[in-house]
Amino acid sequence: MTVVSLVSALTRDELEARLYEAEETLRAIRDGEIDALVVKGAASEQVFTLEGGESYRAFMEAMETGAAAFDAEGQLLYANQSLYKLLDSDAGSLTGPSVLNLLDALNQTIFRRLLTEALQGRQSAEIHFRAGGVERSLLLTGAPIHFGLVGGVAVTFTDISERDQAAVAKESERLARAILASANEAVIVCDRTGMVSHVNAAAERICASVPVGKRFDEAIELTFADASELMSGGDIVAMAAGGTPVQGLEAAVKTSAADVTDVLISAAPLVVSGERTQGCVVTLINLSQRKAAERRQTLLMGELDHRVKNTLAMVLAISARTASNERTIGDFQKSFAGRIQALAATHSLLSSASWENLQIKDILGAELAPYMSLSSGRIVMDGLEVPVDSKTAVSLGLVFHELTTNAVKYGALSTRNGKLTVCLDGLADDGSLIIEWREGGGPLVTPPTRNGFGQTLISRSLGSTSGGTTLDFRPEGVLCRISIPRYGHFHTA
Amino acid sequence: MTQAMREPVKLVLYVAGETPKSLAAIRNLEKICSEHLAGKYKVEVVDLKKQPQLAREHGIVAIPTLVKELPVPIRKIIGDLSDTQKVLVHLSVEE
Repeated sequence: MTVVSLVSALTRDELEARLYEAEETLRAIRDGEIDALVVKGAASEQVFTLEGGESYRAFMEAMETGAAAFDAEGQLLYANQSLYKLLDSDAGSLTGPSVLNLLDALNQTIFRRLLTEALQGRQSAEIHFRAGGVERSLLLTGAPIHFGLVGGVAVTFTDISERDQAAVAKESERLARAILASANEAVIVCDRTGMVSHVNAAAERICASVPVGKRFDEAIELTFADASELMSGGDIVAMAAGGTPVQGLEAAVKTSAADVTDVLISAAPLVVSGERTQGCVVTLINLSQRKAAERRQTLLMGELDHRVKNTLAMVLAISARTASNERTIGDFQKSFAGRIQALAATHSLLSSASWENLQIKDILGAELAPYMSLSSGRIVMDGLEVPVDSKTAVSLGLVFHELTTNAVKYGALSTRNGKLTVCLDGLADDGSLIIEWREGGGPLVTPPTRNGFGQTLISRSLGSTSGGTTLDFRPEGVLCRISIPRYGHFHTA
Repeated sequence: MTQAMREPVKLVLYVAGETPKSLAAIRNLEKICSEHLAGKYKVEVVDLKKQPQLAREHGIVAIPTLVKELPVPIRKIIGDLSDTQKVLVHLSVEE
């Protein structure tokens, strides 16, 4: 068929259509709208693509990281098997929109921006999403790629979830350590075998040196007061590590830290993840101050009980002896009340000084207080700043009361001119302390015709082995030497 | 506009495997059909990579190419169908 006959065989419309088709084909090639051509071979047609072959796909498929190719409009052209696996998608199911649908709005924006910017040059971004019920983080790196005549973007997807999770775990551990370190209470963490794995600073103070890696029993020496034979620190750790919490046991601790002697110990199972216990957490609260206060309280209660009994016995004795020496009820009332008041004054002093460290000066001062202001200069006290124990204080209180009563009634304090000097006269050979009560300037003294209770009390008080009093009714004034035994009755500074 | 058409549009899209422009043409045609032809179309996609001999029927040279078989006259639209208006004109649905 010749050209003329071919042309004549076609209608004008058909010719126009063919011409249009030829022009359109050229235009499409020029505009880059086609990327494959059909070439008529000897036997049959063959298709040649203009995208530079399929080599990029083979290359992507060989990659272990997820990789995909997108065209300039962000449409997915190809994704390798690693990416399907990474995105937990069935092979061949991914399209541009389906990749985007995996992401939330923020990450979609990040992803779109990466595709746009990567057309111009290499870009990286991180995206986060959930796939297969797991939080995933991917690092995306996009770079321009040319498929023959067409431009696009090749993107690699690197799973950084593990890196992120490791960072989160590290941060979490750092936080846990900070909490442990900041706790006021001593905290010791043991593993399942009872070996110490962590201790905080408070625990280090009461543990043996380098406790980590030792058995709990070796790391800290505890004694349980109530069941010392039956229980050890190791038992508590074993119970807690076995899943049974132990709460609030009191124990004495042997440690080099002087301010820690007693602790309240609790232990709880350590459950890190799942149901299984990984060991136990032992907390030790310092009870030393409280225990010391309790011991002191108990001591004071015992002492108080003892003293109340003594005082009642003393009151009964004073009452009986006063009654036998006084002639009238009035005399009895006066003497008895005075003696009881003297006892009360000494007790007041003792309780205000917490039953300790009361000085002789204080006891005498309480007794002479009513006369001190009246007789400024008449009463002299010297060297009496000597602490005495409570028993001696009570005795001295009664002795000073009797001597004062006597002085007020008959002696130096009964006149305007009388003088009283009470001073420390030094130590006797046996170490006892001598106090001298010397009156002068009062009326002429005559020894009493009979021993009243006052005198008996003066003589007998402090009357142990080396203690006692000697009373001398000198005409110019009473002289009394009070001897306080050395041990336990007074303390020299 | 679709009311003017008395019979369904029958289209044949010739592609070459999954070349970028073949994929783009498929995507663009899906969009045009769903937005402008409202179900009154029938599309056949022919992969000339697999069956190159089918190029002969419509004398296909460049890929992708869309052929409107029905309604007559037959029309060819060469390229990736990214110009929607031009495609609609050739499919005579704008008339």
